[in-house]
Parts: sequence; C-alpha cells; structure tokens
Amino acid sequence: MPGMRAGKTVRKRLKFRKEKDVVEQIIFYILTAIAIGSAAYVVLSQQLIRSVFMFFVTLFAVAGLYVFALADFVALTQIVIYVGGVLVLLLFAFLLSSKDALDTISEIPSGLLSANRLPAVLISLAFFGLLTYTFFNIDFQNLNWITSAQASGNVKSVTDDTIRNIGVNLMSRYLLPLEMISILLMMALIGATQIARKEPKAL
Amino acid sequence: MDSVFTNYQILCFALTAITAPFLAFVFSLIFKKLAGAFGIVSITVSLVFSAILFFSIWQKQTFHFSFSWIKLGNVSVNIGILLNDLSVIMLLLVSFVALLVHIYSVEYIRKEALRYRYFAYLSLFCFAMLCVVIADNLFILYAFWELVGFASYLLIGFWFTKKKAVQANKKAFIMNRVGDVGFLIGLMILLSQFHTLDIETIFGAKGIIHSSFIHNGNWVSPFASIPDYWLTIAGFCFLLGACAKSAQFPLHSWLPDAMQGPTAVSSLIHAATMVAAGVFLLLRVSPLFNDVVLTTMASIGLLTAFMAATIALTQNDIKKVLAFSTISQLGFMVLAVGVKDNAAAIFHLSTHAFFKCLLFLAAGMVIHQLHHVKDDTKTKFDEQDMRNMGGLARFMPITTVVFIIAALSLSGLPFTSGYLSKDAILISVFEWASERGGVYWLFPVVISITSWLTTFYIFRVIFKTFFGDFKLPALINKKEKELHLHDPNLWMKIPTIILAVFCFGFFFALNPFSLEGSWLHHAFNLEPHAGGLLHLFVPIYINALSLVLIASAYFIYAKNKIVFTNHKSWYYQFSYHQWYFNVLYDKKLVGLILWKAKITFWFDKHIIDGIVHLSAKAILVLAEIVDWVDTHIVDAFVNGLANIVSSWSVWFKSVQNGKLQHYFIWMLFIFLSFIIYKVII
Amino acid sequence: MIPLQHFLLIGAVLFSLGLFAVITRKNAIQILMGIELMINASILNMVAFGKYDKIDNTGQIFGLFIIILAAASVAVALVIIMNLYKRTQTIDPNQTKSLRG
Repeated sequence: MPGMRAGKTVRKRLKFRKEKDVVEQIIFYILTAIAIGSAAYVVLSQQLIRSVFMFFVTLFAVAGLYVFALADFVALTQIVIYVGGVLVLLLFAFLLSSKDALDTISEIPSGLLSANRLPAVLISLAFFGLLTYTFFNIDFQNLNWITSAQASGNVKSVTDDTIRNIGVNLMSRYLLPLEMISILLMMALIGATQIARKEPKAL
Repeated sequence: MDSVFTNYQILCFALTAITAPFLAFVFSLIFKKLAGAFGIVSITVSLVFSAILFFSIWQKQTFHFSFSWIKLGNVSVNIGILLNDLSVIMLLLVSFVALLVHIYSVEYIRKEALRYRYFAYLSLFCFAMLCVVIADNLFILYAFWELVGFASYLLIGFWFTKKKAVQANKKAFIMNRVGDVGFLIGLMILLSQFHTLDIETIFGAKGIIHSSFIHNGNWVSPFASIPDYWLTIAGFCFLLGACAKSAQFPLHSWLPDAMQGPTAVSSLIHAATMVAAGVFLLLRVSPLFNDVVLTTMASIGLLTAFMAATIALTQNDIKKVLAFSTISQLGFMVLAVGVKDNAAAIFHLSTHAFFKCLLFLAAGMVIHQLHHVKDDTKTKFDEQDMRNMGGLARFMPITTVVFIIAALSLSGLPFTSGYLSKDAILISVFEWASERGGVYWLFPVVISITSWLTTFYIFRVIFKTFFGDFKLPALINKKEKELHLHDPNLWMKIPTIILAVFCFGFFFALNPFSLEGSWLHHAFNLEPHAGGLLHLFVPIYINALSLVLIASAYFIYAKNKIVFTNHKSWYYQFSYHQWYFNVLYDKKLVGLILWKAKITFWFDKHIIDGIVHLSAKAILVLAEIVDWVDTHIVDAFVNGLANIVSSWSVWFKSVQNGKLQHYFIWMLFIFLSFIIYKVII
Repeated sequence: MIPLQHFLLIGAVLFSLGLFAVITRKNAIQILMGIELMINASILNMVAFGKYDKIDNTGQIFGLFIIILAAASVAVALVIIMNLYKRTQTIDPNQTKSLRG
C-alpha cells in the first residue's frame, strides 16, 4: 500500500529527524551553557582583560544560537561586526589606555551578594523573574500571529535560503531604514574620530 | 484807652521784661566770662520795661492777654499775661531789687570760680519770679512757682561743697514741696468748681467767685455745685502753699537754714522774690478765702510773727536774726491778708522789700569784709557771729549808716517807709479786733508786742555789731590796725545807698505821717479806715515804747551795763533753739517717718518681697516643669520629627548622589514596579 | 526544533546578566559590555521571533540593524570613555560628577 509505504518513510524520516533533533538540542544547550557561563564570567570578573576575552566567547556562542534560530546571516554579521569590529575596538581601547587606570578596577569589592550589590542582584532577578513569568504565562502555540503564520506557511524551515530573501528585502522593503542607518553609522564614525582626535593646542 | 501805648506794645514790653532774664540765664551758661554783664544788662532791661509798664498800667487799666494753650475736654487752659496794679508794682519791685542785688553780687561773688553759675541761677530766679507776677492763670503761676522753688534750691545750694548748704537747699526744696501739694490740690478744686484757672475770670472785679454763693450747705458756682466745706479746703490748700513759700508756721524752718546761700541771694529771696511769692499768691486768690480760712490765716501770721521775733532776740548769727526777722515780717503780711487789709499787705510787702534787702546787703558787707580779714590773717573765726563783732562803726561808717536806716524802717519809726506800712497793718488789726471783740483783742496786743520785739532785736544787732568794743582782735590775737577793715568798694556801696534812700517814707507818701496819703496804699485800699483815733494813737504808743527799747538795747548790748537775762534760763534756751522746731522736725517728725519707713521696709522686705520671692519660686518650679515638658515632649516630638526628616533626607539625598548607576537602579526599580504591577495585578 | 520559549529564556538570562553588569560594574568598558550583552539578548529574541516571518524577514533585518547600530554606539562610547579618562584619569562613571546638580 502506497499509504503504508508513505507512512513508513515518514516514520523513518521522523526517526531520522528525531535523532537529528537530539543532536541539535545537545549542541543548542551546550551553546546555551557556554553563552550564559561566559556571560556570567564577563559580568562577574574582576579583571577587565579576561572579561573582554570571555565576551568574545559569549558573542560566538550567541552567534551560534542565532543559527539555531534559523538566522545564519545574522549570526555571520554578529561574528563579523561584533567580533571583528566591536571587540577589536574594545581591545584597542583597552590597549590604548594606561594600565594603572585599569588596575584600580580590581579594587572593587567582589561577591555577588555583598551589600552594595544587593539592589543590583534583586533588580536583575526581578527582571529575570518578570520575563520568565511572562513567557510561562503565554500559550505560544495559540498566539494569533504564530497560528496565522503557520497557516499561511510563513514559517521558516531549516532548508530555506534566507540570505537572498534578506538582500531583496533590504533593497526593497527596508531600503529607507537601511539608508538612514548607513547615514547614522557614518555620522557616528565621523563623530567618533572627531572626539578621539587630539585637540589643537590653540583653539 | 487812656494809655499812651497800644495793647500790642504793652504785650511786647511785658514779654521783653520777662524774657530778658531768661536769655541772660541761657547766655550766662554759654558765655561764662560775661555772665555778670548779661545778668545786669538783662535785669536793667527788665527794670526799664517794668517801669514803662508801671506808668502805663498803674491806676489806669488792666491789661489781659491770653490764648488757649491746652484743651482738655471742655476745660481750656490758657496761657497769658495779666497786668493789673498788683502785677506792675510787683514787677517793678522785683526787677528793681534784683538789679541792685545783681550789682552788689558782682563784688560779693568776685572770687568765686563758678560765678557764671551764680549769675545764671540769679537770672533764672528773676525770670521765674517775674513770670509768677504776671501770670494770668493759676496753672501758669503754679508752673513758675515751682521754677522759683527750683531756682532758689540752686541758689541756696550754690556752695554745693558745703554739707550744710546741701542740707539747707534740700530742706528748702522738700518743705516747699509740702506747700506745693496744697497749692496743687487747691488748683484742682478751683478747676472743678469754675472750669477755668484764669485769675481775672475767677477773681476779677466781675469774676465768677463773686457770683458763687453758699446755698443749703452747697457751694454753688455757675458751673458746678459741691459741698461748702470744699471752699474752706480750697482756702486752706492755698494757705498751705503760701505758708511754705513765705516760711510761715509750721513750714518756716527752711528759711533760717537757707542762710547757707550767698548773702546776696538771701537778700533777694527774702526781700522781693521767693517769700514774696507766697504773699503774692494769697493776694491773688484773696477773694476765695472765707471767714474760717481768714481767721486761721491771721492766727498763723500772728503766731509766726511773734515766734520769729522771739527767736530773733537771742540768735548770735547776724544772718539768722535777719532771717527770723523776715519770717516775722512775713507774718505781719499774712496777718494783714487775714484781716482783709490787702492794701496794707501789699504796702508792707513793698516797703519790706527795700529795707530787708538793705539789711541783708549791709550784713553781707560786714560778712564780706570780715571774710577778707579772715583770708588776710589766715585765722579761723565765724564771720557771721555777732559775738566776734562790735564797734565796726569806726571802720565801716557807710555800712553802719545804711544798716541803721534800714533798722529804723524795720522798727517803724517815723519818717521811714516802715512807719507807714507797719502802722497800716497795726491799725487794721485793731479795727478788726474791735469789730469782733472778745478773744480777738489778743491779736492787736500780741502784734504790738511783736512790733516792740522787732525794734529790740534789730537794735540788738546794731549795737552788738557796730558799737561797743571790737571783740575780734582779742579773739585772734591781732591788733585792730592789722585787720585793714573798711567799707567795701562802690559795687557794694551804691546799691545799699540807693536802697537806703528808698527806706524813707517820702517815696510812699508825701506826708510821712499820713498813711492815707500814700499812693501805694491808697491804690489798693478800697475801704478807707474809719477810726481817726487809732491813726493817732497806735503810732504814738508803738513808737514811744520803741524808743525806750532802743535805749535799753543800747545799754544792754553796747555798754554792757545791764545784764538782761541769764543764758541758761528756759526762755532764753527756748528762743535760742528756735522754739525747738528743728529738734521737733528732725527728731520727732523725721524719726517718725524713718520709723515708719523701717516698718514699711520690713513689710516690704519680708512680706511683699516674700510673696514676690515665693511666686518667683513657684514660677521657677513651673518653669522647670514646662522646661521638662518642652525638652522631653515638645522638643522631643519636634526633634524626632526633624530626625526622621533628616534621616529620610539623608536617605533620599543618597538617591541624588550623582552616581549614574544609582540613578539607573532607581529607574529600573520604578520601571519594574510599574511593570510588575501591570502584569501581576 | 528548539522551542521558542528556550530562546526567550536564554535571552532573559543574558539580559539580566547584562543588566547586572550595567548596574554593578565600576568600569565603563565593562558597563559597555553589559550593554552589548543586553543588546545581544534582544537580538536573540528578534531572530527567534523572526522564524515566523519568512517572507518579510523583519526580525532578522532589524537584528542586523541593531548589530550595526550597536557597533556604531560602541565606537562612539569608547571614544567618550577614552576622552573621559584623558580628562579625569578614571573611567568609573560614578566618579564623574561635574554635571551633578
């Protein structure tokens, strides 16, 4: 029976997908662990240089998470711009500033629950609690925009080619924001160089 | 208007006459070296204008000028000038005597460092007295009456380093205050009864005093009706005021003590100004007195005259004798007012002013010269004590002559002014007594005796001072020639000579034996005396015995041939100690007052202060309680509130600490609170 | 497939950590990193939701925009931090109080 065969293949494919899913999930959670762990290190570390390099790890891990969110182009951009731009910039800043300015940082009392950090901890936890509370109170399967997207086949699949679509959309639907952002970017960079350059002695 | 001057001119003259001494007073204090000149010039100006006023007012018109000064409800106090016969004669008298005293003082006070003060006070004194004389209003009169008292206080205490002088001026001031209280009360009674204090309105010829009457035991005036005893009280009040000023019994004892002042001042006080003010007041308000008051007044005058004369008999201080003589003569005047013979009172006041002034100035000359002797020989003796004198006639002939003239006048011997005025009083008293009879005959008898005593004591002074042996050289072991005793210079001689001339009766009556012929007496004598017999009889018997007494005094005191009396006899001691009035006042009255003061002090200290202290303690305890409540409850509440606020504010301030991250924390906190509120609830 | 909630949870964790860094760190560079962390968390959410928008790709494109803007802001912020250090010899934002009222 063709139906039976079809059912068999489907089941087979399901099994394959299930195995693939397991691997996928393992990788995802490893990435998650790396991302959160490194982020925690970035936040809690007393030494700036370590936290900067650990931020490197975090950004990579988050880029990996983007991939799992089916946004490979964004992941790549993340790596190129963040890791290649922002982090290098941070390192430059770090290297250009004198050492003793950074040494003073380490004198700050540490400890997650020390008295002067308690408000920070509480507020962060409260934020986190608020967010999770919200997520768990929402029935994601029955959200309007998700169900309508699923109904109209507007859901990405793993095999979809998103980069072409993004390029088309950037040049058509989001052309104006793109231009504005490019101008803004240029202004920001010019401004940055203007601020950064040495002031003339006699103004 | 038969006057040669307009009202406006008269007003200007009067104001000039009274203002000149005041200006002299002010300028003397500023330009100290010219004080004497200022005084003499100003009083001369006063004299000139007084003379002009006298000749334009006397027996012709009454000048009255006033304007409303203070209005109290329906009572208006006026200020103004009243010039009638009495005013102008007094004005002339005061300024004339004062001028002579000023001239005399130039020499008398020459060696004093503070003589500018002397002349300033003298000018003030004259100013006050002139104002008293021309005041048209009892209120103004009272004000200047007080000023007279104050100026006399200053003058009596001129030698303020002398303890006795200070005590004397204090005594004079206090005793005058007693009289002033009476005056003030009398003033109040008059004000409430007549609603005015204007002298002309009340006491004038058409004054309301004449339209008021006693009806059913009430004293009815056009304005008010009060029980009739108020009339008597008012009379007594004014009498008390006059008694203090004119040194009548029982307030006479300040006057002998006032001898501590310079002799020239004594002369002015005694002759025309201060003591005359009391008699002047009595004359001004004389229509007010009813029979009771008049009889009392006559009795007081009589008693004072007699008492002072007896005291004067034994005093050894030349000025004291004259002082008691003044008291005695003032008693004559008060007696004259008491027997309703105002003319005689004014007449005697005027004549007495001259001869008493002269007596004092002459005595002053003696004292002054002896003082020089004391300074020259550098010895110590009392230059006022007659026991140190005697036989001075040889050295000071002019002084002796003028003194004798004045003494004759005082004694009332013929051809003198005193003869006229004293006899006028004596005749009035005789007539008054004959009208009443009975016990009132005591009055003429006593006053006659007083008159003889007067003769005796004044000639006692003359013989002890100017005749007999000069006792001083023996006393201080010097020879007479070493003393250089002589008459003083012209500054002192001329005033006394002028006064001596005025002591003769010719100036007051063309016929020196006829009282009726006296222009001064005639002007005031509304009812001429009826009895012609008395006019003949009284002078003769008085003067006859006077001559005998003068002779006896000569033998007793000049020749020491008759020992008159034992100094230890009770009557001598009684007289010598001035009837023990000072003792009485000092020991008994002052003691009583001090005793009362002690009781009051004790009461004050132990009871009133005790109450005060107790209440103070109670208040302190209360204050402690309140303080505790304040500190622990009110303050604690406030402070607690403040602490809460401040701790809150510190906490809130920490929010505004400028730390970026703290702001961020707060921002997030608020944001979270809002979100959590919206999400969960 | 990874459920949407997981992405959101990871984003929440990262965001909270970034928030914590921003609040507690005394170092402007670390604060900047905290901000970047928070931005990353939000991008993660964007791309996670972007799965349900295949045609318009709004989530991804705005993720890109955010990355670019974050890069620009980092450039400017770093320059500011450098200047701040030049002036005050510190990069502790709490020490710069010259604008404090």
